[in-house]
Amino acid sequence: MSRFKSSWRVLAAAAFASLIALPTAALAQELTVWSHWAAEVAKRAYVEEAIKRFEASRPGVKVKITWYEKSALYASLKTALRAGQAPDVFYAEVDQTDYIDNNLLADLSTGINWANVEPWAKQAWTFGKGTYGFPLEASTVEVYYNTKLMNDLGVKVPASGQFTQAEFLDLVKKAKAKGITPMAQGVGDRPFPGSYVTHEALLKKLGPKDYDALMKGTLSWSDPRVVETLTFVKQLVDAGAFPASFTSLKLGESHIYFHTNPGALMFQVASWYTARAFNPPDKGGQPVGFPLGIMQSPAMNNGACNQCKSLAVGGSYVVNAASPRKEIGIAFLNSLATPEMGNKWLENVLVQTGIKTDASKVSGPHANYFKQLAKANEGNTYYFGTPVQVMSGKPKEVFTQVINNALPAGSISVDDVVKQMNAAK
Amino acid sequence: MHEARALRTPWKAVTVFLLPALTLYVAFTAYPVVKTLWNSLHVVLPNRHEFIGLANFVELAKDDIFWRAVRNTLIWACTSPLFEVSIALVLALALYAKVPGARFFRIAWFTPVLMSYVVVGIIWAWIYNYDWGAVNYALRALGLGSWTRAWLGKPETALPALIFITTWMWTGFNMVVLLAALHSLPSEVIEAAELDNCGWWGKLVFVIVPMIRATMLNLIVLSFVGKMKIFDLVWITTKGGPLWATETVSTYVYKRAFEWNTFDLGYPSAVASVWFVIVLSSVLTLTWLFRQREKLEY
Repeated sequence: MSRFKSSWRVLAAAAFASLIALPTAALAQELTVWSHWAAEVAKRAYVEEAIKRFEASRPGVKVKITWYEKSALYASLKTALRAGQAPDVFYAEVDQTDYIDNNLLADLSTGINWANVEPWAKQAWTFGKGTYGFPLEASTVEVYYNTKLMNDLGVKVPASGQFTQAEFLDLVKKAKAKGITPMAQGVGDRPFPGSYVTHEALLKKLGPKDYDALMKGTLSWSDPRVVETLTFVKQLVDAGAFPASFTSLKLGESHIYFHTNPGALMFQVASWYTARAFNPPDKGGQPVGFPLGIMQSPAMNNGACNQCKSLAVGGSYVVNAASPRKEIGIAFLNSLATPEMGNKWLENVLVQTGIKTDASKVSGPHANYFKQLAKANEGNTYYFGTPVQVMSGKPKEVFTQVINNALPAGSISVDDVVKQMNAAK
Repeated sequence: MHEARALRTPWKAVTVFLLPALTLYVAFTAYPVVKTLWNSLHVVLPNRHEFIGLANFVELAKDDIFWRAVRNTLIWACTSPLFEVSIALVLALALYAKVPGARFFRIAWFTPVLMSYVVVGIIWAWIYNYDWGAVNYALRALGLGSWTRAWLGKPETALPALIFITTWMWTGFNMVVLLAALHSLPSEVIEAAELDNCGWWGKLVFVIVPMIRATMLNLIVLSFVGKMKIFDLVWITTKGGPLWATETVSTYVYKRAFEWNTFDLGYPSAVASVWFVIVLSSVLTLTWLFRQREKLEY
């Protein structure tokens, strides 16, 4: 009887242990991912396809991805990371150095085939001796224009694709005089579209070294070259370069403003323009056969680097340093680091990437666009990062309010811009 | 002996009844307040807590964005209640006097408060839109095209435009409460005033308003507290811009806690602590100022 009883006890204990062990074993192989791009179908499809491939190559591993919009994701991550409840892999951008400062990210120096990643993209995520992010999305700042409207104005874009300061100002005035909005910028829901004109002009005028010093607060905004550049931007603003609805125009609306209604001559924006513009017209894309051209932002008088352009690494994935499944997380990111996945990103997402790609091998209806983009970037020197990525804290907040909004909105003088930016250093 | 036992406080029952409410109060009100005060004296990072004394408060005293936020919030909190309650009183009197269509107007004027700030923010961002918003459309139609502007995009008009929205939204609520107060007035007092040949203005100023004074003051305090904490509407429409013209203390706390690329919760906690003290002392001051010195007798 007692043997019978003890056998039952052993059996019950074994059953109880298996009940506990089963979910634990299952959890050990479940990789959790939190990602931005909830509303971006092409990017979601790309990542979900990558997950399927990874799961197929790793039997027993399941990837559970949760999609967010960026601000909700950031707020959730801040809370989850503090509480030790963060996912194994999550979306991040290179300006989030606070993650690195607080040792929250795993070092990806080993485990990723970096030979298949552009060196500048790796560099963007390298801090000290570690590399902390996988640079999936990248973009350059481009000036897109409507070639038909340009012809209607009787203006020919130079072979170099770059106007001088005076020619560009004249172009803005000509467009305005004909009732065409020169540039379709708007800052209704983003902290950066209004600043493109200014920061690209500053980069060209100062060159990468001094521009970097300006962004990092070691060069004064009272520097005569900076004041001269801001004065040029103010001239553009006063000439009516931006829509009257500039302050309320949202990013999606400014795309439509440029290519559909009412139509603008130019639209200076990062090269992820295509992620929206190449959608079908009924989903906010540009009209079929839209005459899209790409030119450089204007050359500055006595510019130190008129061939300079901002290149930014955008959406990336990082691995939680506290994750018990770090190795699987890194292996998942490494599965993206192939030329095949790079080209797949280009073809489907229609945005540049930090993964090495070959634009000549990109097929599909937009193959020609990528050749045009590659040509527009020939011979350029890049500054890595945009101001909102390079700056943080108060300087970033003041930059957003002053350079992104108040200066292009015509709400502030050049003197006040200089005063406010210097005070924020 | 039996009497003494019956008069003894039934501690067990008191505990059973109070415990759930007390637990919730401690977990969701008292603890967060104490924790915020504690955080304000520390650098609070995910892997590091460091006592820094009053350093956050010293920095706060020199923080010009914080003071702009304080100024904006105080302007909002001091003006909005006056607009809301005074307009609500006029509307309530109109309904009390049974103007034609009173039932319709009561519903129409009350409806805005049923919507969330998010929905209201989106609707008014459309209404204020420069190109096709109703305000500029109406101005153009009236031949006042030169008056059109980006109402939420200009520093000089953004805050008044938002104050207008909260006034539109909350006046209906105030109206309904005041209407209830008007209906509860003793009719014999008003009739007595009428017998004394008291005109409508006299009745309003010397009879009605004094009798609903307590209700009006409560509404003013409620509106004041609501505006001191306002966040959602600003976040949806302007995010504190342009040039911090609509920055409120709540939006600034959120920016510092979640948007400034820093994990430190110490500084935002210091802002929140200071503001908690200001709101609390303002409410106590208002209550003291508005206290009824002499009880009305009728």
